[in-house]
Amino acid sequence: MLKNYFKIIWRNLIREKQFTFLNILGLTIGIASCFMIGLYVYSEMTYDTFHEKGDRIYRVNQSYIWGDWNKQYASTGPNVAVALRQDAPEFEEVTRILNSGAQTVRRKSQNDDRDMFKEEKSFLAEDNFFDVFSFQFEKGDVQTALKEPNSMVITQKTAQRYFGSEDPIGKKLEVRESKGEWSIFTVTAVLENLPNNSHLEFDILISLSTIQQRLDRQNWLWAWTGFSTYGVVKEGTDAMALEDKIQAIPPKWAALTTERLFSQSYEEFTDGKKWQLHLQPLREVYLSNDPEAHLFGPNGNPQFVKIFSAIGILILFLCCINFMNLSTARSSKRAKEVGIRKVLGSERKRLIKQFILESTLFVALSTVFAIILVQFLLGGFNAIADKELSLLPVLGNPIFVILLLSFVLLLGLFSGSYPAFYLSAFKPIETLKGKVTSVFKGKNLRNGLVVFQFTISIALIICAFFVQKQLSYTSNLDLGLLKDNVLQIHNVEQLGDKVETLKEKLKTNPAFTNVGLSFGIPPNVTSGDKYRAFGPENPALHFEDVRTEGDFLDLLGLEFLAGRNFDPLRENDKYGVVLNEEAVKILGWGTKETFATDSPIGKYVAMTNESADKMEVLGVVKNFNFSSTKKEIGPLVILHQDNDWVWNYGRGRTFLAARFDDKSVKTSGELQSLIDAIQEEIAVMDPSVLFEYSFLDQEFDATFKSEQRMAVILNIFTILALVIACLGLFGLAAFSAEQRVKELGIRKVLGAKVSELAMLFSSEFTKLILIAIVLASPVAYFLVQEWLENFAYKTPIEFWVFGIAALSAVIITIATVSFQTMKIAMSNPINSLRVE
Amino acid sequence: MLLKLNNLSKWVQSGGQKIHLLKDVSFWVNEGDFISVMGPSGSGKSTLLNIIGMLDDFNEGEYTFMDEAVHNLKEKHRSNLYKQYIGFVFQSYHLIDELTVKENLEMPLLYKKHGGAERKALVADMLDRFNIVGKKDLFPAQLSGGQQQLVGIARALIANPKLILADEPTGNLNSKQGEEIMDIFTQLNKEGVTIIQVTHSEKNMKYGSRVINLLDGSIVTG
Repeated sequence: MLKNYFKIIWRNLIREKQFTFLNILGLTIGIASCFMIGLYVYSEMTYDTFHEKGDRIYRVNQSYIWGDWNKQYASTGPNVAVALRQDAPEFEEVTRILNSGAQTVRRKSQNDDRDMFKEEKSFLAEDNFFDVFSFQFEKGDVQTALKEPNSMVITQKTAQRYFGSEDPIGKKLEVRESKGEWSIFTVTAVLENLPNNSHLEFDILISLSTIQQRLDRQNWLWAWTGFSTYGVVKEGTDAMALEDKIQAIPPKWAALTTERLFSQSYEEFTDGKKWQLHLQPLREVYLSNDPEAHLFGPNGNPQFVKIFSAIGILILFLCCINFMNLSTARSSKRAKEVGIRKVLGSERKRLIKQFILESTLFVALSTVFAIILVQFLLGGFNAIADKELSLLPVLGNPIFVILLLSFVLLLGLFSGSYPAFYLSAFKPIETLKGKVTSVFKGKNLRNGLVVFQFTISIALIICAFFVQKQLSYTSNLDLGLLKDNVLQIHNVEQLGDKVETLKEKLKTNPAFTNVGLSFGIPPNVTSGDKYRAFGPENPALHFEDVRTEGDFLDLLGLEFLAGRNFDPLRENDKYGVVLNEEAVKILGWGTKETFATDSPIGKYVAMTNESADKMEVLGVVKNFNFSSTKKEIGPLVILHQDNDWVWNYGRGRTFLAARFDDKSVKTSGELQSLIDAIQEEIAVMDPSVLFEYSFLDQEFDATFKSEQRMAVILNIFTILALVIACLGLFGLAAFSAEQRVKELGIRKVLGAKVSELAMLFSSEFTKLILIAIVLASPVAYFLVQEWLENFAYKTPIEFWVFGIAALSAVIITIATVSFQTMKIAMSNPINSLRVE
Repeated sequence: MLLKLNNLSKWVQSGGQKIHLLKDVSFWVNEGDFISVMGPSGSGKSTLLNIIGMLDDFNEGEYTFMDEAVHNLKEKHRSNLYKQYIGFVFQSYHLIDELTVKENLEMPLLYKKHGGAERKALVADMLDRFNIVGKKDLFPAQLSGGQQQLVGIARALIANPKLILADEPTGNLNSKQGEEIMDIFTQLNKEGVTIIQVTHSEKNMKYGSRVINLLDGSIVTG
């Protein structure tokens, strides 16, 4: 019997080439998309699964004490680990890591022309780091690798960079210190390159004992929140209970910090708010993308995972519908076979089995094609998604193979179920007599399915439109500063005092209109502290701050609403500040309308209550975007770069920005030679300074990199969904053409024009698409609105976009059915009528 | 007695009106009969045949087939009954286009769970008996109408039914092919197979032993 089924299926496949092709193509595209998305989602959801103790590792987060206390903060002070070790014996190990920031590293050797590299991913780690995390060693001793000061553990690719094929163990690397000296490190171990799915991403680990002196001095601090604290709990520990228990730690241990640092008791500092510690399971760290301030590697985006999972399932759904639709559309052809089989004694059960077997076979075949397709396209997908997905290791996994087989069976069952039940329900006599009235009943359902398909496709089109619109909206947003033509040179702090010389040199170059130094540059102004309007009665509030000089504010083209810029000729200006509008508002000093009567200029802001370090407000600038345009503009305090009252954590982040004149720098070649000249200049001043540069506008664009990526992927899958829907429509049109050939033949004989027939025929489908548009629009509107909530600046939801999407859907529909339309409208009616 | 119909009626509702397809039809068939059902178009011939073949329902009356009350049987039981005892021959042959002659013949046996060897033997037998061994690997479309009907009859016979129901078996054939088919029916009847045929043609009618004339759903003579 089975053999007989296979025979029929195979012969049908061969005979109905167009149907087979449409079906397999649709299924293949659908399954391949689904696989691709599946691989992506799987990789996103299986981060950090390779750690042996993974299910017992937690990251300790704390309340965001610098702002909204209800939010969590992934960074903690050094004292959190100390406290946990003492007060929470449930932890088997507690370990801290600290991001050392970008460092210039070179191999220690005799000659001077050695390669230097900027190492962006370098952490300080404690000696028990590997007792918590299971990174694989290639060489070296796990126990001692991070024990001694100035020890360095490097990954294999880092070793390759400095040592080539030599054995790096025991060899020395040098790291540039701020004053141009080099400190020496010994390579104690080499790690295998890190797995792709690690939320910790580093090239170099430096033993935390290297900074033991500073640590000894500041180990009590809860404010030096550059650390992340991780703990492994003992087996069988109730993490919830443990989390409850450790809430006792902040009041006991953080009081010292509030007293010494802010001159407040713990109660005064918290002021009724809860300073909490949270245990975040390791497997949630990557994907949750929450809390902020994870400084040690990539963050996932749970929203993307949700969006793409949904799209994957929808596409799969679309191709199932396609299959059902095409199968039932062909039912008039299959009906005869069903009738004969029934008359010859086949039970309905068996017919159902046969059709499900058929669809399963289709799915299996398409799955094979899909796997091949995915293998071919994965490279491109990886490039777009910035991922390193691969199919082959997954295919070798027996669990996956079982999953795949069940996927094929399930999908076969699902997509075959409707045609199976539908076709098998035919009454044999009716089908044999050729009066399959049930075909007409099926028509409504088929039309419904097509409407559903296009609803999804059109909704996707509208969403894709808006994503694109939002991205271009944000990139063209008025930032409040002039972002074009600004070149920023990095690492200039390494030049020491010579940076002023470099600045003067650039100033004399007529190609540059403005030159200025800054410790932070938009959109990467991320440091912040507590400031208050001077006076003990005023509350301390969190402000972003940036250290810079007047020239830089000029360069950005900021608009002063009141007061003035820093003046290099006035010595005392270095203890003055410039505020943005928002900061003035938050301090309670009014808005720009009130400046005339009650000017904030001459008032003071301060960090503590001591009157010694109150800082005079020199000017107020109009709000401008100093961090990502995803966020609303917050309050900003602009400090003078020479202000030595406020602790300077600008190390390693000094930039020299220069605005070039696009009248004198017209081509990219001219720009490049300008950059080359600066590089030359710096090399002459100090050959050990690494030359790096970037452009302000590109930095702003980069803040939307992940959204841009999402947009590209969304566009691709939108097109695929549309292609699948069109395949279905095409098949349906072919079927309808076959059904109506007689009717249209008669019309033609009675004098209908070709154009009239074409209109008549395609209107059948255009109607469906119009219904789909009506259904899709509110869905899309809702989704777009939801997505735009992520952004502080939203593109308006304008209706012309819906119009364009609708119009393109109609055009695509007419184009898809036009082939059938023309075929049927042009054909000689004699041929169609002779069939009878 | 092979089967008996007693006051059998079938109707459809159309616009609130009952339209009778069959009305109070009663007759019986003995084993070995060769019955011709005649009547103009729309008189209910095919409906009657389909009801006898258990492919269609009726609304009223009784139908006894080999002492089983068909009107009381469940669908499954009914289908077992006709699978076992009834073979169908159609005007337009109704062979499965995707299967070869041999495979078409084999099909009813597949639904009756015959073993592979037995199926082969029975198919070979049939091919022999109808002289179509040379055509066994051809598809229906490669055969003439007469040959296709031959295959249709062979298929109806292969499971060794007691009753053959033929709905205008020669309707699509030319007269020579028609005669051949009718000769085969006569031969089968002699071998003990009961045959009920629906026909328009006086000539074919004469091959039968009894005639039932239908007009507007009722038997006129019988």
